Amino acid sequence: MQRRVAIVGYAQSEYQFDVPRTREDQVFDVVKAALRHAGILREEVDSVVTASSDFLDGRTISNVFLSMAVGAYQKDESKVEEDGTGALLYGLMRILAGTHDVVTVEAHTLASTINPHQILFYALDPLFDRQVGLLNDIAASAIQARMYMKKYSVPEEAVAMVSVKNLANAALNPLTHRKMPDLTVEEVLNSKIYYEPIRELMIPPITDGVCALILASEEKAREITDRPVWIEGVGTCQDHYLRERNLTQLESLQKAAAQAYEMAGIKDPYREIDVFEVSERFAHEELMISEALGLAREGRGQVLIEKGLTGLDGEIPINPSGGALSADPICATGLTRVIEAAKQIREEAENHQILGVTRALAHGQFGICAQKNTVFILGGDR
Amino acid sequence: MLRNAAIIGCGQTKHSGRRRDVSQAELVSEAVHNALEDAQVSMKEVNALVVGNMQGFGGVAQPELWIGDWIGAPGKPVLRIATGGTTGGSVGQGGFYAVMSGLYDIVVATAWEKHSDSKEAGATTGLLHVALANFFHAFGYGLSMKNLLATSAVGAAAGVAAYQARFYMHRSGCRSEHFDMVAAKCRRNAARNKYAHLQWPNCTPEDIHKTDVIVHPFRMGHVCPASDGASAIVIACEDIALKKCQRPAWVKGLASYSDEENQMQSESGGGVGVLDPSEQMGCRLSAMKAYAQAGIKDPQQEIDVAEIYQPVPSQELFFSEKLGLFDEGKAWIALEKGETEINGRMPCDPSGGVNATNAIGSSALQRILEAGLQVMGKAEDHQVPKKVRNAVAHGWGGVTNYVTVTVLGETPAPRR
Amino acid sequence: MAYLKDQRRETMMVEGSWNIGAYRYKGSTQLQEYVDGLKEKKLIGSLCPGCGKVIVQPRNICGRCHRRMDKRMVVSHKGTITCFVISPPIEKGKYKIIGIDPVEAGIIQEGAILVPVFVRFDGADSNINTILLNSSPEQVHIGMRVKAVFVENPEGKLSDLEGVEPLKE
Repeated sequence: MQRRVAIVGYAQSEYQFDVPRTREDQVFDVVKAALRHAGILREEVDSVVTASSDFLDGRTISNVFLSMAVGAYQKDESKVEEDGTGALLYGLMRILAGTHDVVTVEAHTLASTINPHQILFYALDPLFDRQVGLLNDIAASAIQARMYMKKYSVPEEAVAMVSVKNLANAALNPLTHRKMPDLTVEEVLNSKIYYEPIRELMIPPITDGVCALILASEEKAREITDRPVWIEGVGTCQDHYLRERNLTQLESLQKAAAQAYEMAGIKDPYREIDVFEVSERFAHEELMISEALGLAREGRGQVLIEKGLTGLDGEIPINPSGGALSADPICATGLTRVIEAAKQIREEAENHQILGVTRALAHGQFGICAQKNTVFILGGDR
Repeated sequence: MLRNAAIIGCGQTKHSGRRRDVSQAELVSEAVHNALEDAQVSMKEVNALVVGNMQGFGGVAQPELWIGDWIGAPGKPVLRIATGGTTGGSVGQGGFYAVMSGLYDIVVATAWEKHSDSKEAGATTGLLHVALANFFHAFGYGLSMKNLLATSAVGAAAGVAAYQARFYMHRSGCRSEHFDMVAAKCRRNAARNKYAHLQWPNCTPEDIHKTDVIVHPFRMGHVCPASDGASAIVIACEDIALKKCQRPAWVKGLASYSDEENQMQSESGGGVGVLDPSEQMGCRLSAMKAYAQAGIKDPQQEIDVAEIYQPVPSQELFFSEKLGLFDEGKAWIALEKGETEINGRMPCDPSGGVNATNAIGSSALQRILEAGLQVMGKAEDHQVPKKVRNAVAHGWGGVTNYVTVTVLGETPAPRR
Repeated sequence: MAYLKDQRRETMMVEGSWNIGAYRYKGSTQLQEYVDGLKEKKLIGSLCPGCGKVIVQPRNICGRCHRRMDKRMVVSHKGTITCFVISPPIEKGKYKIIGIDPVEAGIIQEGAILVPVFVRFDGADSNINTILLNSSPEQVHIGMRVKAVFVENPEGKLSDLEGVEPLKE
C-alpha cells in the first residue's frame, strides 16, 4: 500500500429490534461517539463515506438527509450502496490516494423499518427468477446449505453448533440482539423450519443498527492515538449471479482472502491470524467461510466447530462477538465485524476479549448467498 | 495525489426515451463494451469495477449482483456507489480513487439508468420518494391539501429548480429569455452528438419560447427529458495509460463537497438554514479544492471547456459562475455574447448536456466522459475547435446539496 | 457498436411489480412541538446553542456545529418573501392528490393560480415554504413584507398555518 492507514476510533449502537428513536438521532449519536472515541472534532475530518441502501431505508438517496448527522456538512463525502466494508474500502482508497487524511466511515440499516428479506426478493433477476417467484434469499440459501451439506456430508448438528457457539458468545457482548447463553444443539434443531434445512435459530434476527469508525493516515493516526489498528490487507470480490455459481464454495471469498493475505504477507492464516470476525448470514455459511479463508480443507469446515477450535478458547476463535447470527443490521454488519476485530486488537472487547491478539481478520458480505465478499486484515503495533 | 490516473477509454450507448431493444443489463454491457473497445483493453486486464445507478428507477434492488454477469464482473472487486443525481459523478470519482489508491491498475466505472423500465414517469416518482418518509411524517400532522397541491402543481422535480432560477434571476438580472437561449444551444449541440437524446438542429430561442409555460419561469422546452442510457469509462494508472493511450485525459483534481443540508426539508420535517438554494456553497468548495489539486489559479483562463450538470437552463448559468468560469452574476452576459457556444471562448456543454440527455444515474458520469473526450480530442462533431488543456466536469443532485467536480487535463496534476 | 444485439429489434417485455408493502418510519418529536405552537398561533423554531441559528420548523441537528439544536424560540408572525414561483392555472382533472381532484373537492377554484413562496420570518435564519394568499401574481416580488395567516380555530395541525398575506405597514 502507498501509505499506512489505521482505524483510530469507533462506535456502535446497541443492536435491537425497533429502537424507538429516529434514524437521524441514532446515526448522530453513533458518529458523535466515534469521534469522541478517537478524541477528535468533526472539523478534523476530511471526508465522510457512508453505507446504506435506498430500499432498506425506504427513501431514494438514503443518505441525503443524514449529511448533518454524520458530520458531512461541507465535507467531501460519498455513499456506497452495499455492506459497510465497501464504505471502509472506499474510505481507505481516499486516504491511500493521498487526497485525504482522516475519514469517517458510517453504516446503518434500521431493518425494523421493513422486512429486509422482502427487499432481497427484488435483487433477483427481474426477467426470470422474479417472474417465476419461487426463490427468495432464504430459499436460495437453503438450496446452498442443502447442496453443501450433501456434497461434503455435513451433519445438521455441525451447522447447529455454529448457532450454539455464536449465540452463546453473543451473551458476553452487551451490544448484541439475540443472546442465548444456554442454547443446545437440540433446541436449534427443534426451532421452527423456514426452508429445510434452515431453521429459525440459524438465521439472524431482524435488527436495527448503526456503527461508525474513523480512519486516519499514518501521520494523523500517530497524532490521534497511541493504539492505532492498522489495515494490513484488503481484498474484495464479486461472484457470479446465483444461476452460474458453484454454490457449494465461496469462490469470491477465496479470491478476496487471497488478495488480502498477499497484501498483508500472510502465508498461513491458521497460525498468523489470532481472531476472525465473519459475517455469517446463515449458520452454514460460517463453515463455508472458514474453508474459503483457508482455515480448513474444502468441505472440512465442520471439523473446526466439532473440535471446538473456533470457540472463545479455541485456536482460531471465530466470531467471539457473536457474529452476524446475533445481530444483523444488513449494511452495518460487515463494518461491525471490523470494529469488533479492532476491539480485540485494542483489548477493548471486555467479556469476549481473546488474549494476545495482534492480528485479526474481518469479513463482510453482500447479496444473495454471499455473492460479494470483502476481507480486511487488521493488525496492532508490534 | 500520490499516483496519477487517467481516462483511456470512453463508451456510451445511444440515448433515447425508450431503449426497448435492450434490457437493463444489455444496456450496461453495451456501454462497457464500447469503453473497452475504445481503450483497447480486454475485460481480463481490468482489475476492478465501480458501478452505480438509482435503483428505484430500474426496479431492481442491488442491480450489480445481477448485471455483474453481463459486464464481466464475476471474480473482480465491484463497488456500487449511489448518491442520487450525482451517482455518475461519484462513480467516476470512485473509479479515480480506486486507481489513485494504488490498489488497482485498470478500473472500469459505469453508470446507467433505464427510465422506461418503470411504467410511471420515473423522474418524478423517484424524486418524490426522496422525501417520502418525511412526507408521511408531515402527513401525520395534518398537512394542508392546498400546500400539497402547490407542491404537485409546481412539480416536485422542477420545483426546486424553479425556486433556484427565481433566486438567480433576482440576483443577476437575467430573464426567462436567456433560458430559451441556453436550451436552444443545448438542442443544437446535441444534434452534433450522435449519442444524445433531444436533438434539434438549428433550434432557435424562438422555437423554445413557443412552448407552454409549465411553472413560471420555465417552459416545456427548458426541461430535460428522461432518457435510457449508460456510460462507461476505463481508468488506468500512469504506466498503463502512457502505454495504451496516445492522449489520455488525466485526472487533475476531484472533490464532492456537500452543501449545507438540503433545500426542501431536513430529516423529520425540520426547516433548512440555506436561504438561497442557488448559492451552492458545495459547488464552490468542490471547485476550489479540485482547482487547487490541479494547480489551476485562474479557471477563467485555464479551463477550456466545461461540462455542467443542467437539467434546466438556469443551472448552467449559475453553476458556471460557481465553478469560477464567469464572474458572479455575469454568465448570462457571456451567453448573450455567444461565449458558451461550441466555438466560443468558454464552451459549456458542447455535448448538449443533461438538458438534452438525462439518464439520471449516468448523467454525471457522462459529464466526466464528455470532458474526457474533449481532452482526448475524440468528441468528433462536437469537439471544440481549440486546444483543450483543462476541462471541468460537474455533477449535481441529492436535494440540491450534492456536487461532484472533476478536472481533467492533457497533463497530469503537478506533484505536491 | 453492436455487441449483444446485431439487429435492433424490440425485446420481449415482461411485467413486474414492486410491492414492498408499507414502511414503518420512525417519526421525531420536533414536528409535534411545532404544531403544538401553531395551536397557540406561535411559530416555533429551534436555536442552536453553538452558532445561534434559529431554524423554523424546529430541526434536530445543526450540521455546522454537529450538535443538537435543543433550545426553542418563538419567531415573529411578520416576515419577508425570499423567493416565489407561480403555478399555471389549476385545471380540473389535471392534478390528483392522494386520489382526490382538488377542483372537484372544492379545495380550490378552477383557474386559480397558486403562488408558493419561501418566507423568512423575522428572527429566523431559515425559509419556510408556504402559499401567498390575498394577493395576485402581479404583486408578488422578492422582499415583499408578509404576515402569517392562521385558520380561525387552530387544532394543532400543519394546516393551521394557511399561508402568508401582504403586510400593510
